[in-house]
Amino acid sequence: MLSKLRDPSEKTLAVMLLSPAFALLLAIVVYPIGKLIYNSLFAIDKDGAFLGLQNYVDVWQDPLFWNATQNTLLITLITVPGALIVGLALALLANLPFKRKWPVRLSLLLPWALPLSFAGLIFAWFFHTEYGVVNDVLMRLGLQDEPTSWLLKPRWAFAAICLTIIWKTASFMALILLAGLQMIPRSLYEAAEVDGANLWQQFWQITIPMLMPSIVVALIFRTITALQTFDIPYTMTKGGPGEATETLAMLIHKYTIDYSDIGFGSTLAVFMFVISLVVTGFYLNHIGKNAA
Amino acid sequence: MSMAQQHGLWSSPMLRWIAAGIVVINGFFPAVWILFTSLKPESELVQKPITWWPHGPTLENYVRAFTDQPLLTYLKNSVLVASGATLLSLVVSAFAAYAIARLNLKYRQLILTCIVASSMFPLVTLLVPIFETMRALGWLNSYAALIFPYVVLNLPVCTLVLVSFFQSIPKDLENAAMIDGCTRMGALVRVVVPLAAPGVFTAGILAFVNSWDEFLLALSLNSSPAVRTLPVGIALYQGEFTFPWPIISAALIVSIVPIALLIAAFQERVVGGLTQGGLKG
Repeated sequence: MLSKLRDPSEKTLAVMLLSPAFALLLAIVVYPIGKLIYNSLFAIDKDGAFLGLQNYVDVWQDPLFWNATQNTLLITLITVPGALIVGLALALLANLPFKRKWPVRLSLLLPWALPLSFAGLIFAWFFHTEYGVVNDVLMRLGLQDEPTSWLLKPRWAFAAICLTIIWKTASFMALILLAGLQMIPRSLYEAAEVDGANLWQQFWQITIPMLMPSIVVALIFRTITALQTFDIPYTMTKGGPGEATETLAMLIHKYTIDYSDIGFGSTLAVFMFVISLVVTGFYLNHIGKNAA
Repeated sequence: MSMAQQHGLWSSPMLRWIAAGIVVINGFFPAVWILFTSLKPESELVQKPITWWPHGPTLENYVRAFTDQPLLTYLKNSVLVASGATLLSLVVSAFAAYAIARLNLKYRQLILTCIVASSMFPLVTLLVPIFETMRALGWLNSYAALIFPYVVLNLPVCTLVLVSFFQSIPKDLENAAMIDGCTRMGALVRVVVPLAAPGVFTAGILAFVNSWDEFLLALSLNSSPAVRTLPVGIALYQGEFTFPWPIISAALIVSIVPIALLIAAFQERVVGGLTQGGLKG
């Protein structure tokens, strides 16, 4: 027995090595998803009566659900391309031939390493009505006479949250794209130069196509995380004013944790799950088509 | 790079300074602004128009951050949770990665895909059942409630980084050790583990940062102040009537510095690991 442990067969060893990972995945991903669907379908009300699909009907008719879905999709549609553009710009700047690479590299790593919730708190302070640096700069430049209550007005609060998310996520995009930029062979640019292509043409005809694989990877992961947006609106506005900046993740958290309505929270989570699957499927299908 | 080298305009040192300036200001301004805020006495903070550079720098906000609020407890909780999650993530993912990279597995690609695909599931959808399970186990308000989910959170990145490291170690080295009389486990411990140390270290930093930063589960599963981690503890700081910005700024600096030093010291590894298995937004 002991010798078997010391020198196990290939198969035994594989099972031994893989089982901790799969046990955890089963306990923390697979089982919860099954439980989630069960909760949403077999809801029981306080008197023990079977509710059936009532939760789905309730969610469908809940204006808060549609509001949160709209906010979540809007945040995704704004911040994913936003982070891509800012990230690409940062990557192009960071790719210049600097003598010392570390200041630029550290500048891209710091926002990545910062917790999302801290980014939310810091930017909430930037947008503070009385003592925020944003109002200070705008007033010094003479662009406004009175301070604006950015986080108390629905549209401005939404915009401030999108800006914060773009700042926080663009650096990670830049790191991924920078790695992609550094893999483009220099000879391609030299050949284009000989052919008389200007910088603009080189950018669109060499840089962007060669960077496409990195862009797609970065976009997929950014989209998945954008759909789960929670930390930044929670720390900046708590979803307010009213429900103007409430996301689906915040609504799920509110029903499950604050209201202890497990059935309704689970049904919302199933909707969210479906939306994520659709988006992921869309991307994967797109990649498949491009690869073929 | 080449674009820049071929054109006089693009390679001018002036332009490089401007480019570096933009990137550095973008990355550092928020943290630096919070540092300035944390050093201003309360009287200076409520002054209008606001000051930029702190005129009368003081450490009083730092003292208050530790005395008015249980910042030290939050710090301890964050260190314990993140370290525990990191160690466990490394053990679990190193086992899995070794099997995937080295053993003769029939479904190698499928196994790796399963592990990586787990990161595609939105964490918030798993929140409800995880919350219920932890409540049933009586684990709410404990370190374990966070450590186990964090291991799963770290599993895809750590496994990807470690698989590519194990693959880069020549198999002959291991075979040679086995021919010299080492058992398979002996070869693993004496040859593979030491050679994989840099990869394990990289995966460890990524796992630590991920665990240190997590907010949703920490907020939902550990509501008691005694087990709050830094991100949750600081976000829930509440003044009597107003949000206590000076103390928050000091607390933020206290929590940012350890992570900033860690990534500053191991920048190249972190970037390498991120681009190999980067899955975090």
